[in-house]
Amino acid sequence: MSVTSPSAPQSTWTKADIKASRKANRKLHRKEYIWAGAFMAAPVIGWLAFLLFPLGFSVYASLTNWNGLGNMTFIGFDNYVLLVQDPYFWKALWNTVFYMIGIPIGLALSLGLALALARKIPGRTFFRTVYYIPVISSLAAIAILWQWAYNGDFGLVNQFLSIFGIDGPNWLMDSTWSKPALIIMAIWKGLGYSTILYLAAVQSVPRSLYEAAALDGAGAWRRFRTITMPMVRPVTFFLVVTNIIAGSMIFTEINIMTPTGGPEWSTASLVWYIWNKAFRNLQMGYATSMALVLGILVLIVTVIQFRMNKRNEFSIE
Amino acid sequence: MGCEFGGPAGGTSLINDDQREAYIMRRKGLSAVAVTVAGALLLAACSSDGSEGNASEEPDTSGGDAPNELTFMFRGGEYDKLAYETAIAAFEEETGAEVNMIITDADQYATKLQAAIAGNQVPDVFYIESGRMQGYVYANVLADLTEYVDQATIDNVWDFGTTAYRFDKETGEMGTGALYGLPKDVGPFGFGYNTVMFEEAGIEPPSPTEPLTFDEFVDIAKQLTQDTDGDGELDQWGTGLNVTWNSQAFIWGAGADWISEDNKTVTVDTPEFAEALQWFADLGLVEGVTPSAEQAQTLDTYQRWMAGEIGFFPVAPWDIATYNDVAANNPEVFGYDVIPYPVANEGDDWSTWLGSLGIAVSENSKNKELAAQLATYLSTNLEAQKILAENKVQIPNLIDYATGEWIETDAEATGWPANSQAFLDIAMEKGRPLPGTWTYTPEWYDNFWIGIENVVDNGSQTAADFLAAKQPEMQMLLDQSWVSAEQAKAAG
Repeated sequence: MSVTSPSAPQSTWTKADIKASRKANRKLHRKEYIWAGAFMAAPVIGWLAFLLFPLGFSVYASLTNWNGLGNMTFIGFDNYVLLVQDPYFWKALWNTVFYMIGIPIGLALSLGLALALARKIPGRTFFRTVYYIPVISSLAAIAILWQWAYNGDFGLVNQFLSIFGIDGPNWLMDSTWSKPALIIMAIWKGLGYSTILYLAAVQSVPRSLYEAAALDGAGAWRRFRTITMPMVRPVTFFLVVTNIIAGSMIFTEINIMTPTGGPEWSTASLVWYIWNKAFRNLQMGYATSMALVLGILVLIVTVIQFRMNKRNEFSIE
Repeated sequence: MGCEFGGPAGGTSLINDDQREAYIMRRKGLSAVAVTVAGALLLAACSSDGSEGNASEEPDTSGGDAPNELTFMFRGGEYDKLAYETAIAAFEEETGAEVNMIITDADQYATKLQAAIAGNQVPDVFYIESGRMQGYVYANVLADLTEYVDQATIDNVWDFGTTAYRFDKETGEMGTGALYGLPKDVGPFGFGYNTVMFEEAGIEPPSPTEPLTFDEFVDIAKQLTQDTDGDGELDQWGTGLNVTWNSQAFIWGAGADWISEDNKTVTVDTPEFAEALQWFADLGLVEGVTPSAEQAQTLDTYQRWMAGEIGFFPVAPWDIATYNDVAANNPEVFGYDVIPYPVANEGDDWSTWLGSLGIAVSENSKNKELAAQLATYLSTNLEAQKILAENKVQIPNLIDYATGEWIETDAEATGWPANSQAFLDIAMEKGRPLPGTWTYTPEWYDNFWIGIENVVDNGSQTAADFLAAKQPEMQMLLDQSWVSAEQAKAAG
C-alpha cells in the first residue's frame, strides 16, 4: 500500500513541544525500562560471575605458579610445556579415553532394554523401576558396594563367575582388569537413565511407519535398522555427547575404589590426577592447565560430534 | 559419572529450509560450545571439591569478629566432639570467650580448609596436617605460636608432637624453627600379635620390649601358618601386611630409609633397602607365610586378623576399640597385645611411623592470642585428654599423665592392651614421621607405590630392579618439590 501524502501541513509543534513529548514518553516508559533491564541483568550478571569470570580466572591461573594458597607467579606457558612432558598426564588421559569404551556398550544395552521394556510384557513397570534405581543411588555408596563385589576372594562377581566354572580375576588389583571393572560398574550405573530416554524415543516412533514397512515385506531387523535406529538418533546423539562429557569427569568411583590410582596407576583418570595435583601436591596452577586442556579436548570432540550429526541428519516430510 | 548435571535438551530439528538450517547449524555450534563450556566448568567444580554438598548449607568458617569470639574447625568422631566440648566449656568459663565449633567429614576436611583459605574465611583455630604445613606457612596462613605457648607446656607434650609443627621458613627445614601448631594427637603405628593363636600353637609370646629379628619373625610366622582343618588349604598365616602402610618399620629396621636426613636425596637405591624390600616381598612369595596375593587385599587381611587367622598384624590406638569388641565376642580365636617391630639383626634399634594431626591458629585471626590459648587448651587440657584416652581415640598428649597415672592404672582400667607402654615408647623415641610428610609435597613418596605390586604381589620384578628404576623418578619429583617450596616462599 502506498499513500501519497498531500503537501503536509506545517506542523504546529515547536521544538520545545517535541522535546516535552519525548520527555513525557521517556518518563512513561522509564519504569518498564528499569524492570526490563533488571530482568536482563540477572542472567547477564550470573553469566559474568559464574561463567566468564571463573573461566578467565582459570585461564590466568593456568599461566601461573600457584599452590592454591599464596600468591600467583606468572610463568607464561611453562605449565603447558610441563604437561606435554609429563608421562602421568598422558597415562591418565589414556585411562580416561579408555573408560569411554563403556559408552557404546552402555548405549547398545540401553537400546536393547528399551525395546524390551516397550513391549507389553508382564511386570514391565517393575523392571523399569529396578533398572532406574542405580541412577538415583549415591555414587559413593555404589562404589563401595562394587569394591566388595569385585573382591578377588569373596566378591560376588567372582562367585557368580565360578558358577560357570570361570576363575575370575582379582579385578581391582590386576592392572589388566581394573579399567574394565570400572567400566562395567559405570555401565550398570548409567543403564537406567539411557534406557528411560530410549524408551520414550522408541514409544514415540509412529506405528504407521512400521505398518508400512511390514506391508512392504521388511523383517524385524530391517525395521529396526531403517526405522527405529534413525528415529531414536537424536536421543543417541544427546546421550553420546553428555556421556563423553560426564565420562571425562570420572573421579568419585576411582577415588573410592582405587584411592592410589590402581595397580600400576591403571585406573587413574585425568580428573583424579588433577585433583591430586591441586590439593595433595599443591600445584593448583599446573592442575588448572590440565583441566583446561581436558576442557578443550572435550570441546573439540563435541564440535566434531555436532558436525557429524549434522551430516547424517534427515527429515520426514 | 562423577558429577551429576543436567544436559541440553535432546534431539535436533528436522527441517529442510536452507536458511533455517544454517541458523540451526549456528545454534548447534553455539550449543556445542555452551555444552562443553558448562561441562568444563562443572569439571573445574568437581576437581576443586570432591564433596557433593550444597554450598548454601556450608557453615561460615570465618574467624570471630567480636573480641572474645573464636571459630574452631575440626574433623573427628563423637568422642573428639565430646572431648573438645569439655575442653571448650572449661576454656569459655576461664576466659569468657565464645567458641563456635565447626565439625566436618574427615575426607572433606582438607579441601574445605583450602577453600576457606582461598575465600578468606579462615577459622581462628583449625586442624592442620604436618605434611601440608609448609605451603600454609609460606602463604602466611598460620600464626607463629612460639611466643604464645610457654616452655613448660611444650616440655610436657611428646617431643614429636611439637617438632612435627616446627618449620624454619628460611632453610625449608622441618622439625626446627618457629612453632606453627600443637598436637591434637600423636598416633603410634604399633605392631601386635594374636595371643590366642600363640597359645594354641604352643609358641612362647614375643618379648614386650625386645624386638624379634627378621629370622625369628619368619620362623614363628612359619609355625603359625597352618592348615588347621586338614582340607589341604591353609587356614591361618603368620602375617599379612599391606606394603603401603606396613613396610616402613621393616625397611627402617634394616637400617634403610626413603630419604636422606636433609630431605634432599632419595635413598631407595641402597643395597640394604633392596634387601629389606625383597625380604618383605618374600614373606609371601617365598616363605608363604602370608595369604596369597588374591587374598591379601587390605580389607581381607584386616578381617582375617580379627577372625583369628593372622598371627602378627599392626595395632594402633584407633583400632583398640574394635579389637576389644572382637576379643570380647570371640575370645576363643582372638586376643592381642602390642610388641616392638622386628629388626634385621639382634641389637638393632626398632622404629615405626608416628602420625600426628595438629591444631593451628590463623595468622589473620582478630583474636590471635586468645586463639593460641584455645589451641593450647585443646591440645593439653587434662580432662579432654582423659576422655580421648578413655574412649580409645588416642594416647594422652601429656607426658606426665601418660607416663604416670594413665600407664599405671587408667590404661588397663579402660581396656587398653597390656603392653600399652609400647605405644608410649613409640611416641617418646621409636616413632618417625612417614616419609613424605616432612617435605613440601609428598608426591615423590607417593610415586614409590606405583608398580610396587610387581615386587610384592606377583614377583615379576626384583626389589633391586624396581628400586633402581624408581630412584631417578622419585628424585626428580623430590627436586621439583624443593623448587616448588622455593617458589612458594618467593611468592608468599
